[in-house]
Amino acid sequence: MPAVVIMVTVLALFALAYRFYATYLARRVYALDDSITTPAHTLEDGVDYVPTNKHVLFGHHFTSVAGAAPIVGPAIAVFWGWVPALLWVTLGTIFAAGVHDMGSLVVSVRNGGRNIGTIAGDILNKRSRTMFLIILFFLLTLVVAVFAVVIGILLVGNPGAVIPIFAEIPLAIFIGAYIRRTNSSALVPSIVGVLILYGLIAVGQVFPIEIDGLAESLGMGARTLWIIILYVYAFIASRIPVWVLLQPRDYINSHQLFIALGVIFLGLIIGLDRVAAPALNTNLPEGSPNFFPFLFVTIACGAISGFHTLVSSGTTAKQLDRDTDAKYVGYMGALGEGALAMGSILAVTAGLAAADAGTFTELYPDFTTASNGAVGNFVNGIAGFASHLGIPLELGATFAAVVVISFAATSMDTGVRLQRYIVQEIAETAGFAPLVRNLTLATGVGVVAPLALSLAPGGGEDGYAFGRLWTLFGTTNQLTAGLALAVIAVWVTKGGRSAIVQLAPLVLLFTMTLWALVANLTDFIAQRDWVLAPLDAVILALALWLIVESGLALRAAQRGSVDEAEAKDLGINR
Amino acid sequence: MLLVREWEGGHTGSGCCGTLGGEHSEIDNRGETAHTRSRMESMGAVYRTVREHLGEDADIQIVDPRNTMYLVPVIWRDARRGGASLGAAARAVHRGTADGAIVADGEVLFAGNPPAADVALEAIRTHLARSGEAG
Repeated sequence: MPAVVIMVTVLALFALAYRFYATYLARRVYALDDSITTPAHTLEDGVDYVPTNKHVLFGHHFTSVAGAAPIVGPAIAVFWGWVPALLWVTLGTIFAAGVHDMGSLVVSVRNGGRNIGTIAGDILNKRSRTMFLIILFFLLTLVVAVFAVVIGILLVGNPGAVIPIFAEIPLAIFIGAYIRRTNSSALVPSIVGVLILYGLIAVGQVFPIEIDGLAESLGMGARTLWIIILYVYAFIASRIPVWVLLQPRDYINSHQLFIALGVIFLGLIIGLDRVAAPALNTNLPEGSPNFFPFLFVTIACGAISGFHTLVSSGTTAKQLDRDTDAKYVGYMGALGEGALAMGSILAVTAGLAAADAGTFTELYPDFTTASNGAVGNFVNGIAGFASHLGIPLELGATFAAVVVISFAATSMDTGVRLQRYIVQEIAETAGFAPLVRNLTLATGVGVVAPLALSLAPGGGEDGYAFGRLWTLFGTTNQLTAGLALAVIAVWVTKGGRSAIVQLAPLVLLFTMTLWALVANLTDFIAQRDWVLAPLDAVILALALWLIVESGLALRAAQRGSVDEAEAKDLGINR
Repeated sequence: MLLVREWEGGHTGSGCCGTLGGEHSEIDNRGETAHTRSRMESMGAVYRTVREHLGEDADIQIVDPRNTMYLVPVIWRDARRGGASLGAAARAVHRGTADGAIVADGEVLFAGNPPAADVALEAIRTHLARSGEAG
């Protein structure tokens, strides 16, 4: 089937979903009402609370939520066939992510722009805020760990990307210093930076950097050494002011995001490549993880992602101009992420064929190979699309690797920074003063935990499938989304409306995550994996805790009544 | 009217967020974005002053300079509508996308460090008076 037909079909479904389902959510479920004044107005200060044009706000929101995660998960998940992966992306985006992202935004707007974890303390119970922090700790640990492995895989597989990626660091530092010193626009320097970066891709092709010899002399594999280097970088980068590196790199990334989207979708349309993968993979080798439940935790971002609630609530919510803008910003943001995930599926099924980078049978023979090779397959698939625009395959692959690594590195940097504060917050709650006061120590905890996971015994070059770590990340991401959905469901119920649109995806999430956690735990114990097994067990305990808290709160909401004072406190309109 | 300043809340391609909202006791991670917070607060003072004097009907947008997909076409469009030549419009786009820029109808009133709120207000009033005379 031509990939462009799939693309048009999915985008048409998204358009219909926005037109009809999002409108239904806005009117009947969230009861959006422009007579309600948003915190952007009631708390307007021009700093954090600023009424913002919905198109401007969507730009801020979408560029924050778009990342490498909706690329990696779908690229692994086609192992089960492109149809199940695409169905989960499409239906998950429409019925789960859209409900979740929009709902997080609405509940936050109605509660003074506070983040969902804080609101959970009011809407569910006080324990939920602690639960939120703990889930977040594991989520950030896993996201840093998986992206370190993703970058390691790409640097080994694309040695031509090493020079441009590491040159991006001084480039970004120079841009940051230049605009700070001159107070001038970053537009031209950042465009020049992108051009230099892409010029260095050509240099990297001539001078690829492989560190196999060095790694071997140190008694480790190349990927392991890259991962260690990345963590050293992440530790240092997270300790320097954001204006030095992180924020100037954003200027480069903002151009890269739209260049990459353009290459993917233009290349797909012009090339008219056909999908060259089975609709449903019926040749799964024995011992493969089952479609149920692992598809649903392999694709998190791109179907439903708890990270979005962190963006929607507490940040975007502070800038929403009108209550009804939540439909456009929240729901459309989810659709954008779904489109990116769809692009990833098409890249590894149709783009790969254009790149002549191997057949499905060669690239997806088993789950280990599929997950370890997924991000490389995505990169080669993009190269296939880019070749229709006249870009040579090798250059296209390195370009795609540079984009993915740039985004993944930003995720690592922000993840370590946030993790430092989560560690301090948890330490404060637990009364452990040394971690509260010492930023370096807190950063160390934030780095060592994911480093250990990235290099877990049995992991590294020959060990467990990257997919197992990835599914743990997906599971934790779904739990975060589940917490948000539970809060939203209780809020909607207290408003006297049916919460079925939250409860249906919530039940699915809980079912699939519990099932995956139990299945993984059994495997980890059987394989004596004493790193992942305890981690899985802790996440399982968190999941059970969340289910109990959600159930109790929902039952209380259904049985109790909400007086006017409580309704006003919770921002409920009836 | 566009007030251009960086926003600490998110990073392109990160998949998540730069801050967690800052309401967690006295520990919040906005401290490490001190430079950006300082700019946000300076521009916030300008915003409040202009809003107070021009009223709720004034179209004032605070836009992150990384949001070039919005800023570039809007500044270009407004500059050209105001009669700017191609070169002048390009210069307006270049200056208007700087962190700390204040742009009114495509005309860059300030670029670089945000001015004091009363200075910004005066410049905006002068621009509006000139536009009123021209229009």
